[in-house]
Amino acid sequence: MTAPAAGGARRGGRMRVNLLAALVILQALCAVFFVGDVVADLRLTGLVPHTLFEAAVAVALIVGTFFCGLEMRRAIEAMRRSEQAVAAASGAFGALIEERFAGWSLTPAEAEVALFALKGFDMAEIAALRGAAPGTVRAQLARVYGKAGVTNRSQFVSLFIEDLLDTPLVGLPSAPDPTAPRAAGR
Amino acid sequence: MTADTARAQGGRVWDPLVRLTHWTIAFAVVLNGLIVEGGAQLHIWIGYAMIAMLGLRLLWGLVGPEEARFTAFPPSLRAAWSHIADIRAGRHEEHRSHNPLGALMAYAMWATLIVMGVTGLAMESDPFPEGRTYGYVEPETGDEAQGAEEHEEDGEDEEGEDVLEEIHEFGGNLLLVLAALHLAGVAFESRRGGRNLVRGMIGPGRR
Ligand code: HEM
Ligand code: HEM
Repeated sequence: MTAPAAGGARRGGRMRVNLLAALVILQALCAVFFVGDVVADLRLTGLVPHTLFEAAVAVALIVGTFFCGLEMRRAIEAMRRSEQAVAAASGAFGALIEERFAGWSLTPAEAEVALFALKGFDMAEIAALRGAAPGTVRAQLARVYGKAGVTNRSQFVSLFIEDLLDTPLVGLPSAPDPTAPRAAGR
Repeated sequence: MTADTARAQGGRVWDPLVRLTHWTIAFAVVLNGLIVEGGAQLHIWIGYAMIAMLGLRLLWGLVGPEEARFTAFPPSLRAAWSHIADIRAGRHEEHRSHNPLGALMAYAMWATLIVMGVTGLAMESDPFPEGRTYGYVEPETGDEAQGAEEHEEDGEDEEGEDVLEEIHEFGGNLLLVLAALHLAGVAFESRRGGRNLVRGMIGPGRR
């Protein structure tokens, strides 16, 4: 199960990556077309201004394809970082976090920000991961703390430490609690 | 299944560029190899598109994300042998990119595709094949008939053309054989690993 929190930023990231992919493909096709055209023109008419202009376009397209590719890799890596950051919260503790978030009725965006905060990312990092402005993230965090009834991050985190201490720890003998979700052996 | 759970289970979804270039190249090979007649205008257009996608994928092998880069799946006979040993021993190892045998296959197909592109282009851009003067008349002579005559007399060039055609045709058939082996390999590894590799080449799926 993925938390509903796993929403917006990544879907946006994926769309951006797909868009960049389409752009790169289009550029590569155009580049090959122009190179082919330049070669044919060179053979037919030799080096005239028209051919030179087309050659410049071809070079620009190739360089553009290259940089668009680099940009796309950057977008993919950013998306993966945020995916990993969210995905790591799985298992029993993840379920517990999800339950808490649902109890405070956090919006999906707030839940994602809250999760990043729990994982120890600071405001600037969260903003970068979500592709949002720091001010937005600050406001979202403030709302999260408000809903959870705390005033700062360390109080927020300790709420979960308490929960963790209440949960039977995997691998330790404890009173059987049929309702407590158990992490599967890994 | 979402991308996350797929990843968590060791599943890998290739990035969109790898997926798009893969399917356009596969499509081009099937079309040009089996359906569209060689030398037809459509064959040449498809060929150009294939060259563009191949160039893009090879560029991506240098600048793409980690698992798409050549360094993630270097061609290595030794690794391929040890992969075969794994298969015989019933061991299954997850690879972050292609498995070593799959990597060799990818390089073999890319090399063949490069040969197809080069020989195809060389044949296609044979100076002034009959009937393709682009509406252009040679300035010095202004006589197309003479040009054609010269062309026919040029026996050596004709021979070179024949060799190109042979290589191109052989390469086309080789590609189809490699693709069949490739499909068998994908099916085999998917069964062995209990994970459908094709899904990673299609996309993250709907959430
Ligand atoms: C007919 C022409 C085909 C050619 C020339 C071809 C070529 C290739 C190449 C070069 C790769 C390496 C991909 C890369 O790193 O960019 C690859 C991977 C792959 N191909 Fe194909 N392919 C063909 C058809 C197919 C078909 C029909 C399927 C599926 C039904 C398929 C499934 C796959 C899969 C799943 C991979 C990834 C394998 C892995 O996970 O390591 N291919 N193919
Ligand atoms: C995608 C991979 C390709 C495959 C599988 C392929 C396959 C073939 C085959 C099997 C033939 C011989 C057909 C026949 O004799 O009727 C052929 C001929 C030809 N191909 Fe391709 N081809 C590919 C790419 C290209 C490219 C990239 C070009 C050029 C841009 C090209 C240009 C030609 C030409 C001009 C001929 C005619 C040769 C002649 O009969 O004089 N092909 N191709």
